[in-house]
Amino acid sequence: MTPVLEVRGLTFPGRGLNHELSFSVGAGETLVLLGRSGSGKTTALKLINRLLEPVTGAVFVDGEPAAGMEATRLRRRIGYVIQEIGLFPHFTVERNVGLVPLLEAWPSERIGGRVREMLALVGLDPPAFAARYPHELSGGQRQRVGVARALAADPPLLLLDEPFGALDPVTRAELQREFRALTERLRKAVVFVTHDVREGLLLGSRIGVLAGGRLVFLGTPDEFRRSDHLECRAFLEAL
Amino acid sequence: MNLFGFYAANVRELLQLTGQHVLLVAASTGTAVLIGVPLGVLVSRTPSLRGAVLGLANVFQTIPSLALFGFLIPLFGIGFWTAIAALIVYALLPVVRNTYVGIVGVDPAVREAGVGMGMTDGELLRLVELPLAAGVIMAGIRVATVVGVGIATIAAAIGAGGLGEYIFRGVSNVNYTLILAGALPAALLALLADALLGAAERRLVWRR
Amino acid sequence: MTGCRSRLALAGWLALAACGRSDRLVVGSKNFSESDLLAELVAQQIERRTNLSVERRLHLGGTFVCHEAITSDKIDLYIEYTGTAYTNILRHSPIADPDSVYRVVAAEYAEQFRLAWTAPFGFENTFAILVRRADAERYGLRTISDVARVAPRWRAGFGYEFLDRADGFPGLARAYGLRFAAPPAGMDLGLTYRALVEGKVDLIAGNSTDGLIAALELVALEDDRRYFPPYQAAPVVRMAALERHPMLAQALAELGGKISDDGMRRLNALADVERRDIGAIASEWLASNLP
Repeated sequence: MTPVLEVRGLTFPGRGLNHELSFSVGAGETLVLLGRSGSGKTTALKLINRLLEPVTGAVFVDGEPAAGMEATRLRRRIGYVIQEIGLFPHFTVERNVGLVPLLEAWPSERIGGRVREMLALVGLDPPAFAARYPHELSGGQRQRVGVARALAADPPLLLLDEPFGALDPVTRAELQREFRALTERLRKAVVFVTHDVREGLLLGSRIGVLAGGRLVFLGTPDEFRRSDHLECRAFLEAL
Repeated sequence: MNLFGFYAANVRELLQLTGQHVLLVAASTGTAVLIGVPLGVLVSRTPSLRGAVLGLANVFQTIPSLALFGFLIPLFGIGFWTAIAALIVYALLPVVRNTYVGIVGVDPAVREAGVGMGMTDGELLRLVELPLAAGVIMAGIRVATVVGVGIATIAAAIGAGGLGEYIFRGVSNVNYTLILAGALPAALLALLADALLGAAERRLVWRR
Repeated sequence: MTGCRSRLALAGWLALAACGRSDRLVVGSKNFSESDLLAELVAQQIERRTNLSVERRLHLGGTFVCHEAITSDKIDLYIEYTGTAYTNILRHSPIADPDSVYRVVAAEYAEQFRLAWTAPFGFENTFAILVRRADAERYGLRTISDVARVAPRWRAGFGYEFLDRADGFPGLARAYGLRFAAPPAGMDLGLTYRALVEGKVDLIAGNSTDGLIAALELVALEDDRRYFPPYQAAPVVRMAALERHPMLAQALAELGGKISDDGMRRLNALADVERRDIGAIASEWLASNLP
């Protein structure tokens, strides 16, 4: 079965990703990209949805080469969640969540229904939250909306860049647990970037460790715990 | 003759000159918005143009208005069109600069999220950047309008009409009532424009 | 004795400073080129015939601005026209005889403002109601009465002073029954010629001695109802200045009657059509006419 995401030989020397990066992610799998700041993990993520264009290598989504698609069409098939969240402050929660369906010209009743479904999925009571504005929400609530937004058009692939990093520990733990349950249920392919090894071990079906622009480890959480690699040991010591 | 007596005796002329004045300002500011907002958008997309465009608009701003009217007479002749051309030039800088600043000031996270989710440049501009920049752009329009009301009084020197006619007649014949008869409505127009556009501006500004 | 000597020096300097003002004359002019030209001519004449130095304040403004300036001692001399003073400053109804106008004006200026009128230059510069030659031929226009026929379809443009003067547009419109399609456009006087040529307006009030009339193919209409009073140009000077400087009166008198209508037109053409420097025009004229 073709993996949802396949990445072969990617480099981007301008940001330190000098060594060819290759991996694949299947439906229902979460690949955690773990690394220190500056290790190239965010760069790797942006190469997938072409916010950065790879210097070498290729990306395939559902078997289709990403380079051959129009960038906006590619991105609408990928859910994208960032640490700063980036909700549109002048849109209600409902309009924020329904953004990609709106861009894809879904009929409005279908958008409405989908938005309510997504809000319920992320634990936000639709009648209470749909008409609110982002500035009226807490950080945790905002990031739930961010996730709902990423899922609204039912993309097969999700990319997340340290999505819970700016939240307090209690909220963070809550969202981590809910996220894990959600993605397992929905059978999404997920690439999740983080520097938090605990988060990585909790959420990842596999863990990829980036150090100095190179993928130095790729394996299951158990393999990670037993690994001798210096970088893995460094992270484990930080637990 | 006192001022109110003068107005009472010349209602039609006062209304006519005020109407000319409003037309001069409205037409020129409106055109400046039609030219300036797209120009500001262009500059926000092409940072290399910023120095040239904003710099040029800045230079125009420093030209004394009577001199600019004089320069444009060979191009557009005496009267209305020269005045409009000059007033457009003066309205451009606030509009272009504020459009640029407003768009560039949009939260980078909002822009990254929008692009990352697959918005085209046009969709980003229409749905995100322009609505969020609208308050700042309106502030630029407000400044351009208020400045335009003042500069339009000079238009009377080149035969374009407006409330400046009273002022020039008054200065020519050392008639203080006449000078005031022109200056007072012009000042009131400026205040009115400032108040109305200021209210519109406040309604368009988005708090984060 | 150094204290005494320095006090004496100080007093000397103060006296000299007070004399400084009295050795200098300020000459002003109205805001059109003929006025500037004549003022420059008078200034140079004073400088070559007396030991006075002359400060020029040219292109000050309209009639009333110059009148304010001279009555408040900001300037000592400017060129005025008898008819202008008669109807606008002294507010008399116009009469036709040039000599009577001059006499009344000279007497009343001396009495009311302590200003003296010296000898007129010898030409008259009245308002010239101007139209384009093509229009004059097409509609058969020779007099201002003729224009009253076509006025309802025409636009007029005037300088700001003419718009409001007692002997300006309002009186003219009444005297000839002139009614235009719209109220006349006001603009800087110098621009009215351009507006007429460009077709923005169809009738303007220029000066009869303007150099541009022939050059721009314009026609001056005859004042058949004798609406305008005579306008003879002469220097108006503060009596206090004449009393302090005896040579001044003689220098000014020498200019009397030396410029004809055509002579003034030629000088204006040099300035407005050929665009020569007025300082040069004035010194050349003085060299050839008053060596």
